[in-house]
Amino acid sequence: MTRMAETFAALPDRLLALLDSLLDRFPRRMGDIPAAVLLTAPALLVLGAFSFTPMVNALTLSLRGGKHGDGAFIGLGNYLDALRSGEFWQSLTVTIYYVLGTIPAMLAFSFLIALVLHRISRARGFFRTLYFLPYVTSVVAAAMVWRSLFNPRGGVFNLLMAWVGVAPQQWLLEPRGMLHLLTGGAVNASIGPSMALCCVMLFDIWHGCGFMIVVFLAGLSSIPREVEESARIDGAGGLRTLWHITLPLLSPTIFFLGVVGVVRAFQAFNSFYALTQGGGNTQDTRNLILYIYSQFYDYGYWGYATAASTMLTLAIVALTALQWRFVGRRVHYS
Amino acid sequence: MRRVLPHILLAAFGLLMVWPFLWMLSTACKDYASASTPSLSLWPGMFHWQNLPDTFRAAPFGRYFFNSFLVAGTVSLSVVLTSLMAGYAFARLRFPGRGVLFALVLGSMMVPFEAIFVPNFVLISRLGWYDSYAALIVPWCANAFSIFLMRQAFLALPADFYDAARIDGCGHLRFLFRIGAPLVRPMVITVALFAFLGSYNSLLWPLVVTADGSMRVVQVGLTAFNTDAGVRINLLMCASAIVILPTVVLYFAAQRYFVESALGAGIKA
Amino acid sequence: MTRFRLWMMLAALSAACCLAGCGGSPKSGPTQGPSFRPLDTTSAVFWDRQITEIGALLHRLADEFNAAHPGLPIKVEYAGDYPDVFRKVSASIQAGVLPAMTVSYENMTAEYIPTGAALDLDLLIKDPKTGLTQAELDDYFPAALQPNRYADFGGKMYSFPLSKSILMLYYNRRVLAKAGLTAPPATWDEFLDQCRKIKAATGKPAHAISVDCSTFDAMVFSRGGDVIRGHETLFDSPQALAVLDFYATLTREGLAYRITPGTYQDNEALGKDEIAFTFRTSASRTDIMLLMQNDKTRWGMARIPQLDPAHPATVLYGPNVTIFNTTEEQKAAAWAFVKWFTSPEITARWAVGTGYLPVRKSALDSPEMKKLFDEWECNRAAFDCLDFARGEPNITGWQQVRDLVVRTLSEVLAGTREPAEAGRLLKQGADEVLARAGRG
Repeated sequence: MTRMAETFAALPDRLLALLDSLLDRFPRRMGDIPAAVLLTAPALLVLGAFSFTPMVNALTLSLRGGKHGDGAFIGLGNYLDALRSGEFWQSLTVTIYYVLGTIPAMLAFSFLIALVLHRISRARGFFRTLYFLPYVTSVVAAAMVWRSLFNPRGGVFNLLMAWVGVAPQQWLLEPRGMLHLLTGGAVNASIGPSMALCCVMLFDIWHGCGFMIVVFLAGLSSIPREVEESARIDGAGGLRTLWHITLPLLSPTIFFLGVVGVVRAFQAFNSFYALTQGGGNTQDTRNLILYIYSQFYDYGYWGYATAASTMLTLAIVALTALQWRFVGRRVHYS
Repeated sequence: MRRVLPHILLAAFGLLMVWPFLWMLSTACKDYASASTPSLSLWPGMFHWQNLPDTFRAAPFGRYFFNSFLVAGTVSLSVVLTSLMAGYAFARLRFPGRGVLFALVLGSMMVPFEAIFVPNFVLISRLGWYDSYAALIVPWCANAFSIFLMRQAFLALPADFYDAARIDGCGHLRFLFRIGAPLVRPMVITVALFAFLGSYNSLLWPLVVTADGSMRVVQVGLTAFNTDAGVRINLLMCASAIVILPTVVLYFAAQRYFVESALGAGIKA
Repeated sequence: MTRFRLWMMLAALSAACCLAGCGGSPKSGPTQGPSFRPLDTTSAVFWDRQITEIGALLHRLADEFNAAHPGLPIKVEYAGDYPDVFRKVSASIQAGVLPAMTVSYENMTAEYIPTGAALDLDLLIKDPKTGLTQAELDDYFPAALQPNRYADFGGKMYSFPLSKSILMLYYNRRVLAKAGLTAPPATWDEFLDQCRKIKAATGKPAHAISVDCSTFDAMVFSRGGDVIRGHETLFDSPQALAVLDFYATLTREGLAYRITPGTYQDNEALGKDEIAFTFRTSASRTDIMLLMQNDKTRWGMARIPQLDPAHPATVLYGPNVTIFNTTEEQKAAAWAFVKWFTSPEITARWAVGTGYLPVRKSALDSPEMKKLFDEWECNRAAFDCLDFARGEPNITGWQQVRDLVVRTLSEVLAGTREPAEAGRLLKQGADEVLARAGRG
């Protein structure tokens, strides 16, 4: 019995040994190549079949007119159509508002919370869990809760407004600009992000900042305590230490979160979809992805939609490259 | 004062963070009449346990959970395996095209999933996987972010480990699974957790590639519940709560291992 | 890896993307033969969107059918709500694998026809053995059959009426009574008038608006207008502008508020005696009865207000079924089910159980229907509209026009666009959409 169990337990090891010995049979001059092929094959197969191939398919599709990709080859016609379309630019504006409205706010808030969390020793795990909680929940379920909170009739946000003596708001149903509402109508209603868009941003800040906090905590804990302490001994104040020591040392973290955050924000879909019922039909909450999505799935303009998504992908790649080039250089690496 | 101030600050913001959850739980405890009465109070004032059987009767959540766990569990395991292997290869092996391949892997992160949705659906159908577990699982068995994280974890290990093991005649595979994997365990747990969450919480893909009720996962079940005519807010919140619960439990279980340094390692490029 | 090298690789990647794009590899889509592979070879799959009690009834009926009929069994599968069904079918057409049939609105079917997926049902109807006799065909309500003939596609019948519904005015008697009112409005002027009285009496809005294109169409119809002529929309017509004006008035005077899209907050508010009116399809009858706790004295349903009650008009909607071009066996099973489902007896049972309307005239004489009518006078209301209800446009591109209408209504309701300007822009946008769809 025990022998059987032992044999069984040794099975993985024997398998690994067998594979290793197989790898050793390859000529030495091939170096790591056989091992690399074996190790990367599963991941590359999956990515190849379900990411790269569809990507190339999408690209060839973008050069065709008509519906469902069965139209004639029209070269860059779809690209030009998109660039000429007012709706395309409108949805790009929404995406840009969203990126600008969420990433800096999330970075600042998460950094603040992480900083405080890092300083305390008691109940740290408890608080960290608390802040990370929204991140692990499904957007669908959380959005259902938030939609109820945002409900203009009897929703909690309007109850709070009444409590502080402010008129009830339309929240997710309000297409007018936030600036317009805040300034009492001094700014044109179509300028700046709409209140509905701001509600979506608020939801995503709530949902996503847990991730940033945890990453910031990781960054903070990698800073040797002596560095900060020696700065303090040298007479630097709390804020000065923060500015001259902590922030520069954290710059790789901030940079990483910035890049990942921007890529994700450009691709934001679920929260828009779940909060505004399929992106809503109002332009003020339709970002580029939702625009592409409706052109693709609802109206069947595959070529046009893939052309727009290709431009979006290129924009994301270019933006990431720019960040890497200009911001990444200044990032301080210890 | 200076000592409690951080705690007060954290508690205040923390309350805001969990407030929607508390509201959800509170509403889930109420009967329909009081759930649809506007109130700021978080205390339900009653425990209408009937909501629970009502929710489970309204939709077969038991079956949905089975599907979701099966799919998310398999995806999670597979992602750990594929990213361990690929991450190790990209970090420690020398082979031509390594840079280009890795850039391609990273590049796939930048393609919006919505853009490659239909080509993927077509592929699944041609493979005959429509409405099967394979369709829900296989496309998600590897992802760029996990490979990236795992590569960073292996890069962070001191080179001596590798050299010592190689001198001892330990092959790549034995090294990877017997020595390397335990060393990067925090990252393994992190990757597994994120893969599980991503799979469990996904909606659009399962909605499109499955049709039969027996293949439905919880998120799809929840939207079906949502579009229900004359929706009952208390049952909806009850359903949301039971859908959210497993991920919260999982996170609590994993967080012992899920240390910040795991993600921290991912940053140092 | 240094940052610079990574950057270089990203550049290489984007270059690779461009090259792949210019390279023009062969077309990826499957070649579309005349027929499609069936989703399931052992049963005829029916993609549907019904859930709750209505969905349960459909499953029961399918079981009943399967027990009584040889051939492939029918398997009802939930495929999400209508937009989901549409996306799923569109994707499946590309994949070359289709269910035997699906629920479908006319504008959805219009998108399936050019791909060769939708089956010309005249072939089945005219079959001497399994088809329908002229007498049977005449028993179907013309308003239910007619929208299933597609003028853009040779006037052929590519879908078949399954269960119809009509836009109705649901009203709350208690709220009406607060303003001293006893009867629901018959005209649009009366509607506004009653809303004002209720607002004056209760201080609260009288109506909750669920923004929807079919509701808009019905309102235009009821004012004697139409939404389309040929392939040109009529959104700047006096009738359409009157509807936009009506919405603008409702919000300006605080007589109505907009509900969250996709919810049934209006029904709930009606059930809680908060509002007096809401417009919903006749299929909401069972839900509202539930919200009213089965108290028939609290509420009622009536046809929507009209410009001229002597010449009424409204929208007939509700899903049709499209049978797909798969195997003979699948097509036969699907058609047998459709024929059975729309038989006088079953369509009557379906109507009684759900609030949908039967598609056959003789169903109105069935004992079940008579019993339903005797139970409550309001149960008749929807059926009385069958004579003057008509379908919505069934042309390619209408799906997108519907979304444009919803957007325009949202803008008017938010007060960000004047009705006249909104109507003009809507017409312009919708005509562009239809022109583009026609080109495709």
